[in-house]
Amino acid sequence: MNDLLAAEWLKLRTTRLLIGTIPLALVLSAAAVAGEIVTGHGGTGAGGLETSEGIRRLFAVSGSGAIVVLVVGIIISAGEYRHGTAADTFLTTPRRHRVVTAKLAVSALIGLTAGLLIAAVSLGVAVCLYPVKEATFPLGDRDVWLTLAGVPVYTSLFAVLGVGVGSLARNQTLAVGSALAWFAVVEHTLVNLASDIGKWLPAAAGQAIVRTPIYGLLSPLAGVALLTAYAIAISTVGVRTATRRDA
Amino acid sequence: MPTRIMEPTVIEVRGLTKTFGAHTAVDDVSFTAPTGRVTGFLGPNGAGKTTTLRCLLGLAAPTAGSALINGKPYDQLDQPRRQVGALLESTGFHPGRSGRNHLRVIARAAGIDASRIEPLLDLVGLRGAANRRVGGYSLGMRQRLGLATALLGDPGVLVLDEPANGLDPAGVSWIRQLLRHWAEEGRTVLVSSHYLAEIAQVVDQVVIIRDGGIVADTDIAELTTSRVTVRVDRVEPMLAALRADGITHDLLADGSVAIAGRDAADIGAIAAGAGVTVTELRGLSAGESLEAMFLTVTAGEQR
Repeated sequence: MNDLLAAEWLKLRTTRLLIGTIPLALVLSAAAVAGEIVTGHGGTGAGGLETSEGIRRLFAVSGSGAIVVLVVGIIISAGEYRHGTAADTFLTTPRRHRVVTAKLAVSALIGLTAGLLIAAVSLGVAVCLYPVKEATFPLGDRDVWLTLAGVPVYTSLFAVLGVGVGSLARNQTLAVGSALAWFAVVEHTLVNLASDIGKWLPAAAGQAIVRTPIYGLLSPLAGVALLTAYAIAISTVGVRTATRRDA
Repeated sequence: MPTRIMEPTVIEVRGLTKTFGAHTAVDDVSFTAPTGRVTGFLGPNGAGKTTTLRCLLGLAAPTAGSALINGKPYDQLDQPRRQVGALLESTGFHPGRSGRNHLRVIARAAGIDASRIEPLLDLVGLRGAANRRVGGYSLGMRQRLGLATALLGDPGVLVLDEPANGLDPAGVSWIRQLLRHWAEEGRTVLVSSHYLAEIAQVVDQVVIIRDGGIVADTDIAELTTSRVTVRVDRVEPMLAALRADGITHDLLADGSVAIAGRDAADIGAIAAGAGVTVTELRGLSAGESLEAMFLTVTAGEQR
């Protein structure tokens, strides 16, 4: 298994996937945090920005990086079919569940690392921009750290989810398109149609993990449990798909 | 016929059937490929060669039957890259990865020492291009990289699907020498082609597939033992006489008849007995015999 993990990591180091995406996730998150501070509802001064809700809203938008990481996960698995490298991969490792397992593990680590970077960048942006709004960033507030701690959990689970979706769909364009459509449109629509089921959907579970101040979300721990369940369920189906279908 | 010590069978396909929906791509195919020999797997495009090889390599699941290497299905092999080297048309490369890094990735996953890579790059002539992205490779360069990939684990069995595709005449000749060399080293070589002339000179035995079924499975040594073509003034009585005597024969496209296992004197006697006149009689080389057989078994009515 160590060889497989090392090989999956080598695959990522020998293409531009991470260099092309992770900085994007960081920029998106930084921009979202900056935008929230500058144009946010907190107003000027100590008012909204320094409240628990203000801080939670601030770092919740950093979760937009999670979508990028999800796409990375999809490309890690579906990309093998897109470029036809799946055949060589399965010739090397015919027990295909091991390949998918290695991809899940590597993507979880990438998601975790990306999440830590996103949290650090977001924090940095906040510390720098609060004075612009004549507010002081409450570094000692436990809301800050609880919220930031959720970010790497959110992103690593989304990366794992992406690998599951990618091994299920196999068509990379379709998988990325569907995933973006789901998180941008479908889930919002479902929530609007039936708000009581909304909190059980994956994006809402992710938002719960980073303690987004939206009424009716699950608790952060319940969000972790639910998103983990989604990731495991979709990955399990993805493993079965990869194993049973002709490569 | 000279007796030959039976080499152990390394590749064994038995009753292999593969259907895609209503379409039967491979229908009850059986053949073997022993060690130390080059087995040619011939057939027109779309005959089922690639599907058969994909089942053999565990990339597609057989609908029925089995395809074994060293007695096991591919996915049961321990360290398969060290036992089997494969080159498939469907295999792709990440366009953004260099040729050398492609080999590094597979070596890493297979637990093969990276020191194998440089000599292989030299062997396939890609050393100079090894750091370039595969996206910029020509078809021939990709084929060479695929060959290096197949050889990475120094396997005893080589399964090569149309290895000469995309290569120039010098490359095709180079492939032929490699195939011969590997067999002489005691490896088992199964090589598919839709183009007989590419591999006719190097195969020890041929399996011919058409419309998903095996139509011929012959040792080249048998083909070379007195195969004669004869041209007669009236072909029907000649064919009837050959049938009556139970003599193996093929009516070739040019109207001549290829006959196995009989010498010229026998054939002359048969012709005289049938009341026909021989207008031309000549022996066939192994290549000509193979070609005659290939055309006969693949040219018939499409099913």
